[in-house]
Amino acid sequence: MPSWFPDVALGAIPVAAWLACYGGVLLATRPHAVTPAPASLELGPEPPAVVSLFVNGWRVTVDAVESTLLDLAARRILEFRQPADDPRQTTIHVLDERPTGLNPYEQRVFDRVAGLAVGGVVPLTALTFRDPARAKAWWKRIRAEVVADARARGLSQRRFGRPIVVALVLAAALAALPVAVMAYRLAVRGGDDDPSGAALAGGFLCFLTLFLIAARPLPDRDTAAGREAAAAWLGVRDWLRGHEAFADLPPAAVAVWDRYLPYGAALGTTRTASAVIDLGLGDQRRPWSSYGGVWHRVRVRYPRWRPWYGRTAPALAFRALLALGAGWLLVRWWRPFVGDVSPILPEALGTAADLVAPAGFGAGLVLIGYGFSSAARLIHDRLSPVTVTGQVLWIALWQSTSGGEDSPPTPLVYHLAVDDGTGERTTAWAMPASLHGSCDTGDTVRLTARRWSRRVDTITVVERGTPGHRDGAEPKVDTSRAATATNSRATDLLTSAEVTQALGLAATAIPMPIGMLAQFAGPDGKPVLMIQVLGGTLSRVATRVAGLAQRPARATPLPGVGDEAWLDEDRAVARLPGGTLVALVLLGDARGRGAALPGLLTTLVSRVLTDRAGAADGGGSPIEVRQSSP
Amino acid sequence: MTRLSPSVVALGGCLCLLLVLLLVGVVVLYNRLVRLRNQVDASFAQIDVQLQRRHDLIPNLVETVKGYAAHEKTTLDAVISARDAAVAAGRTGPAGRAETENALTQTLGRLVALAEAYPNLKANENFARLQSELANTEDKIAYARQFYNSAVQTYNTAIQSIPANLVAGPAGFRAREFFLAPDDGRGNVQVRF
Repeated sequence: MPSWFPDVALGAIPVAAWLACYGGVLLATRPHAVTPAPASLELGPEPPAVVSLFVNGWRVTVDAVESTLLDLAARRILEFRQPADDPRQTTIHVLDERPTGLNPYEQRVFDRVAGLAVGGVVPLTALTFRDPARAKAWWKRIRAEVVADARARGLSQRRFGRPIVVALVLAAALAALPVAVMAYRLAVRGGDDDPSGAALAGGFLCFLTLFLIAARPLPDRDTAAGREAAAAWLGVRDWLRGHEAFADLPPAAVAVWDRYLPYGAALGTTRTASAVIDLGLGDQRRPWSSYGGVWHRVRVRYPRWRPWYGRTAPALAFRALLALGAGWLLVRWWRPFVGDVSPILPEALGTAADLVAPAGFGAGLVLIGYGFSSAARLIHDRLSPVTVTGQVLWIALWQSTSGGEDSPPTPLVYHLAVDDGTGERTTAWAMPASLHGSCDTGDTVRLTARRWSRRVDTITVVERGTPGHRDGAEPKVDTSRAATATNSRATDLLTSAEVTQALGLAATAIPMPIGMLAQFAGPDGKPVLMIQVLGGTLSRVATRVAGLAQRPARATPLPGVGDEAWLDEDRAVARLPGGTLVALVLLGDARGRGAALPGLLTTLVSRVLTDRAGAADGGGSPIEVRQSSP
Repeated sequence: MTRLSPSVVALGGCLCLLLVLLLVGVVVLYNRLVRLRNQVDASFAQIDVQLQRRHDLIPNLVETVKGYAAHEKTTLDAVISARDAAVAAGRTGPAGRAETENALTQTLGRLVALAEAYPNLKANENFARLQSELANTEDKIAYARQFYNSAVQTYNTAIQSIPANLVAGPAGFRAREFFLAPDDGRGNVQVRF
C-alpha cells in the first residue's frame, strides 16, 4: 500500500459518505408514484400548467405553456382560427386586450401573444423566440411562476426543506475538516513551506463544492394534497387517452372541446395541438416578419461560405492583392520553373511536369482574374453603399475570437437578417460587433451597408418593435455583454473623489482581482469602504446564505432606489430588477459614517442600471451607431 | 419415409408464416374493436351518471317552485311527466334516451323561465342553488355527449373500414347510435342586422 494512501483515504471517505448521504436524501425525497383514479371526465380546479406537473414528475415542461395558451383560448381571451386543413396555418386572435384575473404565468403567455400581434393577429407558429438568452429567461420565469402557484395551492413543495439543507451543509463542513487534514499532511509530505494554507484551501474548496451540490436547485416534489389531485388528474388523462380522436385535435378545436383540450395538452394526451404550438427557439432560416403590417414568412440565406462575405475593406483589399501577387508569380515564374526542373526529374515525373506547367499557368490566370474582379467589386462596393430599410428578423453571432483560459471569446461579426419588404427571400447582412446592441429583433431599421461584402456600416433605428417583437418584455440578456450587464465591475462604479467627498476622509481605490468587489482605503491604507455587485448565482447564494437580500427589521428603507433598498448602520443594500444585489459596507475608520451611504448607493445603483441599459440597448429612438471606419 | 423437396418445405413455411401473421392481425384488430366498443360504453355511462344526477335534482326543483308558484300546475306536471318518461327510457338505446332527455330539457327550460315572473322564487337561495347545479349538470351532459359521440364516430368508422370490417361483422360488432343534441341547437340560425 502506498504511504500516502491513508492520508488520501482520510479525506476521501468522509466526502464519499457525504455524497452517499446526499444520494440517499435524493432518493428519499423523490416524488412518489401516483396511482390513477378511475377514468373520469371531471375536471378539477387546478389550472392546466399546474396539472402538467403531475404527469411530468413535478417538473415544469413545455406542456405547461402549451396548455396555458390553449386555456386562454378556452376562456375566450384568445381565439384560434384554422383557415385550411393544415393546423400550422392557425392564427391566434386577441379577443380581450386587457384580460383580468390571470395569474402571473397566464399573463406572461398572454403578453407574449399580445406583444407579437399585429392588428390583433399573430400566426401560431410565429410565437417562437429568436434570442436564446431571452427564451431562456422567459422560460425560467414561467417555471418559477408555475412552481410558485403549485406551492401556494399546497400541491408541491421544495425537494429539500430547510432542515435538510442545513443538515447537508453542516455535514459538508464536517466532511471538509478531514479533507483539510488530508491536504495538510500531503503538503507536509511534499515539503510544502505553508501546509496550513494548503489545509485551509483544501478544506474550503471541499466545503464550497459540497455546499454548491447541496444548494443546487432541484425540481419540486409532491405533497399529500398534490398526490390526491394528481390521482384524480391521471384519471382524466386515462379518460382522454381512451378517445383516439382526441389526440389528433388541432388547436382550433378548443372552440368545441373547451377546457378539455388545454387539460389534454397538460396531461400529454394531445398530439397534434402540442406539435403545432411551439414557444421554443424558432427557425432562423424561416423567421416570421410583420413588416408591412401583415405577418409573413421570409426565407433567409446566411452565405457564410462566401470568402468575401462580412469582410472589412482592408481584408478584402489584402485578399485581392494576395490573389494578384500569387497569380502573377504563377504566370511569370511557374512555367520557367517547371522547365528548369523537369530535365533533372525521372522520365515519368517529367511527363507529369508537362501537364503541371500549363495547369499552374492557368491557375495563375484565374487568380489574377479573381484579384482584379475582387478589386473592382471592392472599389464599387466602397463607392456605392446601399441603404436598406426593413424589419430586423434575426440577430445571431457568426464569428468570434477563440478565446483562451483567461479571456472569454470576443464576438466579431453577427448575422443580421432584415426583411425590406421586396420579396420573400433575403440574404443576411454581416453586422460588426461594434454595432451589436444598436437594434433588436422586431425593430424597423435603416442601415447602410456594402452590397457585395454585405457588411453593415451604420444602423439607424426608425421604429422600435413592440415588446413582443423584441422577444417579450423581458430585460434583454445580451450574451456578449452578459457579464457587464449583470455584474458591473464594482471598481468602475465609484471614483476615489466621490468616496472621499462622501466619507470625509481621503480614500483611494484598492485594486481588486475580482470584478464584483471593490475596496477603498483610508489615509492609513486600511480599507474603509467595500462595494459588492452580485448578479446571477452569486446573488442567489447571497440571498440564501447571508440573507443579504432580506431587509433586517431594524434597517431604514431607502425608497426609490432599485426595487428595494435599505440602510442598516454601516451597510446599505439595494436589490435591482433581475435579482442583482448592490451592497456598500463601511469598514475600519469609516464606521459610523452611515449617513454617507444613501447618496453613494443611489449613485452606484444608477450607474449599474446605466451600464445594464447600455448593454441591453434600452435607449430611445432613433439611435445611430457609427462603426469606426474599417 | 419420403422426404419433402426443399421448395415444398419453403412454400409450407411461407404459408404457415402468412397464417400466423393473419392470425396476429385478426387478434390485433379484434382487440382494437373491443377497446373502442368499451370506450363507447364507458362514454355512455358518463352521460348516464350526469342524466341520473339531473333526474335527482328535478323533484327538489319542482318542490321549490311549487312553494311559490303552485298554480303553474301545467308546467310542473309537464316537468314531472317528462322526468318520469326520461327515467323510464333508461333501458332504451341512446336515440330513445336522447329523445326523452331533450323533451325534459325543454320542459325544464320553461320551469326555470317561471322564476322571471316570481321575484320571490328567483330570490330563493335553494332555487338558485338548484338552478346552478342544474346548469352545471347540463354542461357536463353536453361534454359527456361530445365524448360519447366522438367515441361512437371512431368506433363506427373502425368497424366499417377495411380490413376491420372483415372481423367486425362475424364477431358481432354493430354500429352504435349517436346521442343527438336537442333540436333547438340544430334549428335554423336567425341572422339579425
